[in-house]
Amino acid sequence: MYAWKEMEAHSALPARKVNVEQLCTSGGSGVVSSSLPVLPTTVEEFPKLPDSQNILTGKQIRSDQLTSHYTPFVADSGNVQPLYPSPSGFSSDLDISSILPQERHTNSTPLVSQSLNEVCLPSAYSSYTGAFQVSTSNIPKDPTEVTWCPDSDQGILNCSDDGITGNNQIQSNSIVMSDDLNKQNEWWSEIMNEDWEELLNDKTVAESQPKVVYPAAQSSQNMSVHQLQTHQSVPCHSGEISAVTGPLSTATAAATKPRMRWTPELHECFVNAVNQLGGSEKATPKGVLKLMKVEGLTIYHVKSHLQKYRTARYRPDLSEGMSEKKITQSQEIPSLDLKTGIDLTEALRLQMEVQKQLHEQLEIQRNLQLRIEEQGKYLQMMFDKQCKTTMDKLHAPSTVEEPSNISSELTQSTAKIEFPDAGSNPIDSNKTQITEQIGNKRKMPDVEPSNHKDVDAVTDSPSSAAKCARVDDEEA
Amino acid sequence: MKFGKRLKKQVEESLPEWRDKFLSYKDLKKLVRLTSAAQPCSRVEAEFVQMLNAEIDKFNAFFVEQEEDFIIRQRELQERIKRVMEDDGTGGSQPSEMEHAKEMSRIRKDIVNFHGEMVLLENYSSINYTGLAKILKKYDKRTGRVLRLPFIEKVLKQPFFTTDLVSEMVKECERTIELVLPVADRGQSEQGGKGELVAAEQSVFRNTIAALMTMQELRKGSSTYGHFSLPPLSLPDLQLPSPIPILQ
Repeated sequence: MYAWKEMEAHSALPARKVNVEQLCTSGGSGVVSSSLPVLPTTVEEFPKLPDSQNILTGKQIRSDQLTSHYTPFVADSGNVQPLYPSPSGFSSDLDISSILPQERHTNSTPLVSQSLNEVCLPSAYSSYTGAFQVSTSNIPKDPTEVTWCPDSDQGILNCSDDGITGNNQIQSNSIVMSDDLNKQNEWWSEIMNEDWEELLNDKTVAESQPKVVYPAAQSSQNMSVHQLQTHQSVPCHSGEISAVTGPLSTATAAATKPRMRWTPELHECFVNAVNQLGGSEKATPKGVLKLMKVEGLTIYHVKSHLQKYRTARYRPDLSEGMSEKKITQSQEIPSLDLKTGIDLTEALRLQMEVQKQLHEQLEIQRNLQLRIEEQGKYLQMMFDKQCKTTMDKLHAPSTVEEPSNISSELTQSTAKIEFPDAGSNPIDSNKTQITEQIGNKRKMPDVEPSNHKDVDAVTDSPSSAAKCARVDDEEA
Repeated sequence: MKFGKRLKKQVEESLPEWRDKFLSYKDLKKLVRLTSAAQPCSRVEAEFVQMLNAEIDKFNAFFVEQEEDFIIRQRELQERIKRVMEDDGTGGSQPSEMEHAKEMSRIRKDIVNFHGEMVLLENYSSINYTGLAKILKKYDKRTGRVLRLPFIEKVLKQPFFTTDLVSEMVKECERTIELVLPVADRGQSEQGGKGELVAAEQSVFRNTIAALMTMQELRKGSSTYGHFSLPPLSLPDLQLPSPIPILQ
């Protein structure tokens, strides 16, 4: 993992680009998903942030939000979302391009190079974020107590065990408080300089970190963005991950950062490692991590996973999630009367039936939704294209007919999307319709000049441009 | 408000630890209503987007964590089944047979509930997605902006919506259940475990039923049918026995 930070030392962008590729290719054996550690569990161990510590601007970091995972959710195409584990409030600061104009510029640099920024701190990442919170609370006492070495079990995770209660209220927007950020920057660079040197064993990197991170208020956010992003993108192309998270993750790795998602294969690897070490009680996160030899996996991932694993093995009632519901047999349950006479197995079968049905319907629904959006996207593209051509053609009135052909065809196909509610199997027929329409649309560009009858079939619109706008309206 | 009500109902029926992880539809709607129709300024939009992102963060975090739990539990269940199956061969002495039967019944119960929870997670994903789509549509309608399409595109790629793994686990679970549940074992009426069974299952079962009903009602027919509406849902008639009235 520390190899990554060495690459970071060469700060040229192109070099970073190469590094990512190297990492990706070398990550063939890696089984871990490129995602960030699932910090919710680890984060829960962090102490609650005192209010005075407006680390990442006021309301943005709340202890409740800490349990929500960093989502690399790109709202604006130009902006890159931070994968910061802190509340989305934080991430949204990066979204708000109007508020942080600088942000945009930095964010628009290719993700890969940004990612590399993070690469240098794969292990530090967790400690980074962890330390972020931990340090803030520790600052009053003794910042140096925060140990950042990710490899030691005595890490951030051993800080006080105040749980951070999940309280997912929506944070109303908070404007970036540059004052807070500046304070944060100062304090942060102190920590950074001390601990990261130690952590990274690389002075160049450590030195550059504060610079990279805190030249300006916004940049601090960039750093975490970068960190978070890279951490995820780097090991992303290991075989198992792609297989599990599917084409979506690889295709969109640049745009949206996959988080740390466990897979059955990865878990299998984990279990093997644990067994080698003598069982879940004896195994230590560090040992397991070493044995697994999965790139991108951090000790925090392993630690939290190990915790879950132990719970599942030795307290299956807890992990089943039903424990609170389980009532001892001695207690009288009113509804029990209803189930007397029904065989246990029969009851289970019934439950299965219902569950299976829900599952099936959900699958169908999901597929439909995906297709609808796909089609919508295609339509939008066509409309935009048509608008453009219409605009052009309006200046050359001789061929006004053609655009209206296109628009009428489009409108027709759009109309077809309105699903009929008759039919024995509306869902299937809709599916076929959608596929037909997708097929039709693809043929359309070829068909356009020759389809004059369609113009009559569709209600006339004053101009194609107007129609374009109207349809656009419908789309929205 | 129809969706809002349905969502609320669904949340109420959810497993307790899930209840605050759903979409805060009401709050988002409030924000949309406050958005000026005349001049949607970028700041307000940014605020809206921020709120949405927060929600998505929430979903992703919860979903991924649940998924991880499921992976662990699935393997544990498989281990237990393996062990029980192996025990089968060893000796037919009475005590171990009893133990064996007990464990089998526990496994069956656990695996059915496990299946149920996974399906409910899929439902969680679906209902939150639907809510997001709806709120975006409202926003676009109100402000005349085109936020919905690109935003939704990104939502589609989010972890909480990419439920392939969970779906796969559900199917595998179903296959296992086929093996584990006796075909037509009328002889075994296990009174002992019933108390726990009923109590434990009520939540998953009730939740599942609620989910199905919600789905059906949401898909009954929209007042604003558009290009992005789903067709009405037609569920085959479920032969639900007497417990159902209680669940409702």
